[in-house]
Amino acid sequence: MLNNLISVKNLKKSFGGLKAVDVQELSFKEGELTSIIGPNGAGKTTFFDLISGFQNADSGDILLNENNISNSQPYKIARMGMVRTFQLTKVFDRMTVLENLLFSGSEVNNDSFLRSILKLNSQKSYEKSLKEKAIEIMKDLNIGHMADSYARELSGGQKKLLELARAIINKPEILLLDEPLAGVNPKLAEDILSIIKKLSDNGITIIMVEHNIEAVMKISERIVVLAEGSLIADGSPSEIRSDKNVIEAYLGKADE
Amino acid sequence: MISKRFSLQFIFALSVTTFSIYLVFFLNPDGAPRILLNLITFAGIYGLSAIGLNVHFGWTGLLNFGHASFMGVGAYVTLLLMPHSAGREGVVITTGLPFFAALIIGIIAAALFGLLLGLPAIRLRGDYLAIVTIAAAEIFRLLVRDLESITGGVYGIINYTENFQKYRPNFIDDFSDNLGFSAAQAWVCLAAWISILFTVLLLKRLNNSPWGRALRAVREDEDAVRAMGKNAVWLKLQSFMLGAGIAGLSGVLLAFNYGSLESTVFIPLLTFYVWAIMILGGVGTITGPIFGSIIFWVIISETDRLAYILFENANGQQLAGVRFLLVGVLIMFLMIFRPSGLLGKKEELLLDVK
Amino acid sequence: MLDQLGNGLLLGIIISVASVALSLLYGVTRIVNFAHGEIIALGAIATLFFSSPLDYRVLFLEKFSPLGLNFAISCFLAILVCGLFGGLLEVFLFRPLRKNDVGNIAVLVVTIGLSILVRHLYLLFASGRVQNFPLELQRRQTYLFFDMTPRNFNVLIAGIIVMIIVGLLLTYTRLGKAMRAVRDSEELSSVSGINSDNIILITWVSSSMLAGLAGIFQATINDVRWNMGFLILLLIFAGTVLGGIGTSFGAMVGGFMIGILVQVSVGLPFMEGHAEAKNAVALGIMILILLFRPQGIFGQKERIS
Repeated sequence: MLNNLISVKNLKKSFGGLKAVDVQELSFKEGELTSIIGPNGAGKTTFFDLISGFQNADSGDILLNENNISNSQPYKIARMGMVRTFQLTKVFDRMTVLENLLFSGSEVNNDSFLRSILKLNSQKSYEKSLKEKAIEIMKDLNIGHMADSYARELSGGQKKLLELARAIINKPEILLLDEPLAGVNPKLAEDILSIIKKLSDNGITIIMVEHNIEAVMKISERIVVLAEGSLIADGSPSEIRSDKNVIEAYLGKADE
Repeated sequence: MISKRFSLQFIFALSVTTFSIYLVFFLNPDGAPRILLNLITFAGIYGLSAIGLNVHFGWTGLLNFGHASFMGVGAYVTLLLMPHSAGREGVVITTGLPFFAALIIGIIAAALFGLLLGLPAIRLRGDYLAIVTIAAAEIFRLLVRDLESITGGVYGIINYTENFQKYRPNFIDDFSDNLGFSAAQAWVCLAAWISILFTVLLLKRLNNSPWGRALRAVREDEDAVRAMGKNAVWLKLQSFMLGAGIAGLSGVLLAFNYGSLESTVFIPLLTFYVWAIMILGGVGTITGPIFGSIIFWVIISETDRLAYILFENANGQQLAGVRFLLVGVLIMFLMIFRPSGLLGKKEELLLDVK
Repeated sequence: MLDQLGNGLLLGIIISVASVALSLLYGVTRIVNFAHGEIIALGAIATLFFSSPLDYRVLFLEKFSPLGLNFAISCFLAILVCGLFGGLLEVFLFRPLRKNDVGNIAVLVVTIGLSILVRHLYLLFASGRVQNFPLELQRRQTYLFFDMTPRNFNVLIAGIIVMIIVGLLLTYTRLGKAMRAVRDSEELSSVSGINSDNIILITWVSSSMLAGLAGIFQATINDVRWNMGFLILLLIFAGTVLGGIGTSFGAMVGGFMIGILVQVSVGLPFMEGHAEAKNAVALGIMILILLFRPQGIFGQKERIS
């Protein structure tokens, strides 16, 4: 029986009277590849924001490896091993692709002010191995040729790849992917999907918010469905496909 | 790197700066060395201060409009720790630390003041940070003015220059005698420009380091920085402290250039001068403020003359006002038409934050 | 402390009117106008110019003589001049900047440069001397539980009436609603047929007129100085922040409170002998508010950080 890596209990968040998230109980197990789907406005990104610390819940508990992270700051949660990407890519525009990765992969102690002034040899060798790690990841994700280009020069799809590369260079335990396929052409989407699958096979717990139902059905082990902030279904792809509530949530929206 | 050093922009900036220095000679047939020394000294001091401000605004995007107070903290703490006389009665204090010890403590004090102000304020949005820093600087000014028993208030502090001038080497005296200007000021001038050299080297090293890289990332996107497990607020605070410390050093130099210090020195106008210099030189560039400072001071000092001609009935205060008027015009003009200044790059500007 | 209450109310009405003006402008344009103090000063200086006797020579480098008009008319004209100034600023400076998508930070620095420029123009043309309106001196009288001169009492009442009118106009007229719509979203409001450029222009003009009025109040209660705007600018920010940024009602209340706080603080024990540092008290309060309750008393929680 795999552990519950992340647990959420009675999580509530409203914006000025409008309920955004209201989930009584939801857990994610180690090594699982879960997708969160749901109609627009279902609260999926808000849910991500809540568990990654970018927003504070009105009430409820979030547990990461038995630690209560309900009011923790985002950077601390990331250090605990949960790294997220964003719906609108947040690459560092005026830095090169390589620098984007070097920054992300550099451990906090390496970035220290004092060390940077002293310019110790240990830092030099660390940077060297960091660069090798970065080059390898860029190659794996096929953006190696853009290493010295400024991130803002990348195409939309390449930015998604860079964002993914940044997220994985630290070998996170948990990866939260917010719409990794949004606005990406079908061929690139295939590539990204296979990268995600490979990461999952290597043991990383992945939670993915996605609108591309086909892709979701293809690679997810488990699908969670949110509608109007609440959990309405939770199961394997085949279970979800035939779930009445899910169909109603999606079709119901189309009728409005 | 080499191609960058001799880029067209750099050559242009260098030419304009050289030309303005030449202008000083041209407009002042007698006493040019003395005037030039004065100008270069002020340019060095303000340039250093602007370099510090650039760390705040150019590197980190922080709107600090209380910069004069960082200079003030550095100056007052350093001076008060050395032998000096203060206040209306000129109470003499003969004990104190040696110059360099006092200076180090002064710089650290300025950095700590930056920490104190930054801790709560750095999370605020741009315009609110601007207001808070102005307010904090005003509180500093009022405290300095009213705590007369410590700071000398409006009567100020005097008799401290010897602490530094006693280290003055003989060659400075000879040099100054030959050229006809003050040896004391020449010594301060040298100190200012050596400080600039060290600061620039330090900043260049930091810029190319992992720390500098992290700061650039914070400037680009704080949320992404957090998602990578880094503490964006602490990084900004460190930058705030660094710029504050540099400002503190420049404040000490200013105090030694003046020879006496009182509560009307570290005022908002000083902050605005430094802002104008920073924008003129190029926001975000390390050496930009140096050029900006020299050109700025040439403009300011030579237009005094122009004002005198234009406004015959004006008194001294009003003529001085013309100088500030120009600062206002310069700031507006630059921000509207050339916010990247002399050496800055348009793409690197942070000014498109809405 | 109570004897400072009268002074507090007077300082309060000045800051209150000025804060409402600033808040109005910020609310619609999102610009923190550091040159606001200069518009306030313009009200006073213009009134001085219009109303001073013909042989009065301190102003204007002693080249131009004042107009010697009736005081009330001078005030009225001065307020119009301020409105005109504000309108010109919008049309020739801030609108082009807006159309060219210049960011808020750049605009803020421009307003700082503008304030330095205009303030020193005043120094040049109105001299650095402290001057007064050509009005006779009056004796203080007691009203309720505070003392002030009858003229100042009239100023207080006039100010309160103006505030009430402004409040009513903002809440109940179509113009007021349009202003609030533009504040909430420039794009949406233009889609619903509101010309946001016109609304913004009207906002600049009315904000400037109110600021001019505040300047006249300040000059009546105190005096006319070239840097009178700059001197109270920080207090105005404090009043606006205290009451709540973006709400005119908040600015009104906040302004009054700051005025009273500043004057009353003179009586506090630790202020003994440091009366001039009373401003520091207000500024300290402002900083605390920005740190712990940035939306002020009446404001809405908007993105402060």
